Amino acid sequence: MSEIEFEIDGKLVTANQGDSIISIADREGIDVPRFCYHKKLSVAANCRMCLVDVEGVPKAQPACSTPVASGMKIHTRNDKAKSAQKAVMEFLLINHPLDCPICDQGGECELQDVAMEYGTDVSKFNLGKRIVADKGIGALIQTDMTRCIHCTRCVRFGAEVAGIVEMGGTGRGEGVKIEPFLTEGIQSELSGNMIDVCPVGALTSKPFRYEARTWQMNAVETIARHDLVGSNIYTQTYRGRVKRVVARDNELVNETWISDRDRFSYEGLNHESRALHPKIKKNNKWQETSWEVALDFAISGLKKNTQNADQLGVLASKNSTLEEYYLMQKLARGFGSDNIDYRLDKADLSIGNTMLSNITLAEMESTDHALIVNSYLRLEQPMINHRIRKATLNGASVNTINNKKFDFNYQTDLEILSSPQKTLLMLQSILKSLHERTKTTVPKYLSKLTVDDSQNKIADDLIAAERPVIILGEHVNSNISSSDIASIISEIAALANAKIANLSLNGNSLSAEKVGFKPSNNGKNAISMFTENTKAFLLMDVDFNYDFIDSKLAADTFNNDDVFVISLNSFEDEITLMNSDVILPLAGFYESSGTHINFDGVAQSFSASVKGPGDSKPGWKIIKVLADILELNGFEYTDSTQVADDALSMSSANNNDLVENNIKETDDSKVAVHWQYSPYAIDGITRKAKALQETPIGKMNDAFISLATAKELKLSEGDLYHGVPVSINETVAEGCVFVHTYQSRKG
Amino acid sequence: MIKKVKKLVKDFGLGELRTGLKVTGKEFLNKNITVQFPEERTPISPRFRGLHALRRYPNGEERCIACKLCEAVCPANAITIDSEMREDGTRRTTQYDIDLFKCIFCGFCEEACPVDAIVETHIFDYAFESREGSIIDKKGLLAIGDENEKEISKARLEDSKYK
Repeated sequence: MSEIEFEIDGKLVTANQGDSIISIADREGIDVPRFCYHKKLSVAANCRMCLVDVEGVPKAQPACSTPVASGMKIHTRNDKAKSAQKAVMEFLLINHPLDCPICDQGGECELQDVAMEYGTDVSKFNLGKRIVADKGIGALIQTDMTRCIHCTRCVRFGAEVAGIVEMGGTGRGEGVKIEPFLTEGIQSELSGNMIDVCPVGALTSKPFRYEARTWQMNAVETIARHDLVGSNIYTQTYRGRVKRVVARDNELVNETWISDRDRFSYEGLNHESRALHPKIKKNNKWQETSWEVALDFAISGLKKNTQNADQLGVLASKNSTLEEYYLMQKLARGFGSDNIDYRLDKADLSIGNTMLSNITLAEMESTDHALIVNSYLRLEQPMINHRIRKATLNGASVNTINNKKFDFNYQTDLEILSSPQKTLLMLQSILKSLHERTKTTVPKYLSKLTVDDSQNKIADDLIAAERPVIILGEHVNSNISSSDIASIISEIAALANAKIANLSLNGNSLSAEKVGFKPSNNGKNAISMFTENTKAFLLMDVDFNYDFIDSKLAADTFNNDDVFVISLNSFEDEITLMNSDVILPLAGFYESSGTHINFDGVAQSFSASVKGPGDSKPGWKIIKVLADILELNGFEYTDSTQVADDALSMSSANNNDLVENNIKETDDSKVAVHWQYSPYAIDGITRKAKALQETPIGKMNDAFISLATAKELKLSEGDLYHGVPVSINETVAEGCVFVHTYQSRKG
Repeated sequence: MIKKVKKLVKDFGLGELRTGLKVTGKEFLNKNITVQFPEERTPISPRFRGLHALRRYPNGEERCIACKLCEAVCPANAITIDSEMREDGTRRTTQYDIDLFKCIFCGFCEEACPVDAIVETHIFDYAFESREGSIIDKKGLLAIGDENEKEISKARLEDSKYK
């Protein structure tokens, strides 16, 4: 694009042909008032607030939709521009209510700010103001549509970014209303961003309603760590409590958006079941105690119960921080135990499925073909899905191989249904097809396979694409051949010259992998710990109901009287009290400093936004003190950044072992079950965030079964499958039950 | 020389004393102006800024909407407010504390209030019996308002001409 030169407020500047005046003004630090313009949304030019004077043009021009031209002379604050802007402001204020004192946007309102400069103190309008009745749009967003100035940012956000058109303008002139089309409430997983884009108080955060004023809160830069994209956020705190979470711009990570999960999960921090004080169980009775007593009790119980060091098992959830993983494994190995694991929800632990991603998040949006395997990307990794959606808007095609057909917010070409038992075979056939197409020798173990048209098409699409990416999602975790699947995918990627995004290592798993938080030699893993004589457990942030793939097996072990369980936990619900012997209250998300590693290997450190409630302490400190009491060496840390430095300098314990490939005889007659937690039930804090649970996504509770499989299992519509209502649905692969629910698995 | 003579005459002729006694003599016959506080009180300007009160609307609804502008404007950080959504959906305070030891009685809170909820009354004679007594909570403030609503509204009315 050619560069052109023009003048703005007497300053000579250069820009590319086609740039809008407002983007150049922003770049030059010239403040042009605006409401409908948003840098990430299309230009609507309907608020008319950004009118500027262009010399030679008789009328003032909207800066957002007027492209710059060579030799243009623009004035943003001369009399003509100012009087045009003031006139627009007067019109906007005709119908806007003067309820700033009770409006949650007050203090951060764009209309309020601009009115201070362009508004007049007396209104010439003395007729009645327009009033709009509110339709509720769900548990997350509070509407006060009388305040709406019809900038349509929320409408454009829905259409362009969220990909689900849920809000729209109806009526004409005075009667224009911005309303949801549906009455059930907003369905999008990114809906909270509408709150951020709304320039007035029409859309505000519902959980935050009337909690605090904006000027009272401290904004702390931090990282949301529910998914594989550590979205950059601000936690806004007031009197030591996190009151609200808003997005922080970072083009490389989350642009300006965050998912609803990141935005509203903070509510869980203030849940009534928070563990506030150390507790010990003596003679089957819980008693609150001091840290000193609890730590001594924990250590003496640990020593008493373990004749050999390797009777100690150390488990952590996949959402701990890098520092916690590092110190936990150091403690365990210093103690002499190699029974360490974080892969509580994986079925296949034989060989670490540690295939690493080799694509960055920003590169995702320039891909031209994506193959999504075993993932409901939109709900599981909303920010990654957003990049893929952007790619599809630029012409990329998407194929999927899933247990069930899902609602993506973009067009998919080919959606292949494949039950968990058949996924490996399916991928092997694709690999064979690729071998045939690239004229490379087909390995012996593939030679007997047959390849059908859809598999050929997937191979064709991969080869035809210039920058393809293969995305492996978290549904693979319940698959008993997940490491084989991963290795086949890396072979496919190598042949098709495709990049890999391994999203099955969800949460902060990459940190755990980085510090080797899994058995390295002969240690027991997260399954064999329960079957082989483990007498004491040290658990970090583990939810006994939800986290284990076989929670019954785990519960049997924990409930055993001669097994001693030290539980570092933020919450003390019934099951935690039942299964533990000591509860050490753990500071939760935003209450502890730490490091999160994204799927593409970007490590982001953050500091604590607030202090944990009660006596709770950051995990790394608790483990450090436990290690000190055990008199282990190498725990002389005074700050979590020292721990992070040590952890990050560890050479990655990535053992990309080659798997010997062969066609596994899988038992087709058995029905495979995939238990997928709803995106708002993936970790303790989201499960306890009330507003999230009231959304359509949070209420997901279905066991999807195809008709044939249902007959086989003697189930019909509405029956309960492990506590979840059955939904007979032909979008599920046969031989598979796909449970999508907020409930934990029972029985 | 002349100056010295004049001074001598004044000093020995008890000039200063006579000047003083002139005032005494004049006032001796005038009406007594001593006010017998607390039985008697001096008149107070309607703008007088004394003890705080929270007002109600005539229908009994409290005026305060928890906008926290008084808290923000208070130069002494004497006001502490917590808010929530009341069951009927309106914005209300759950806590409204004023620390009278911090307060400098500047009247900014009253000026900032968009609904004339927090006011400074004509009450200036009050005492605390404990140190915590200096903090008046919402209940106390509303009680002061209820008790003195007549005087409060009268003072606002008188002053309204000059606003």
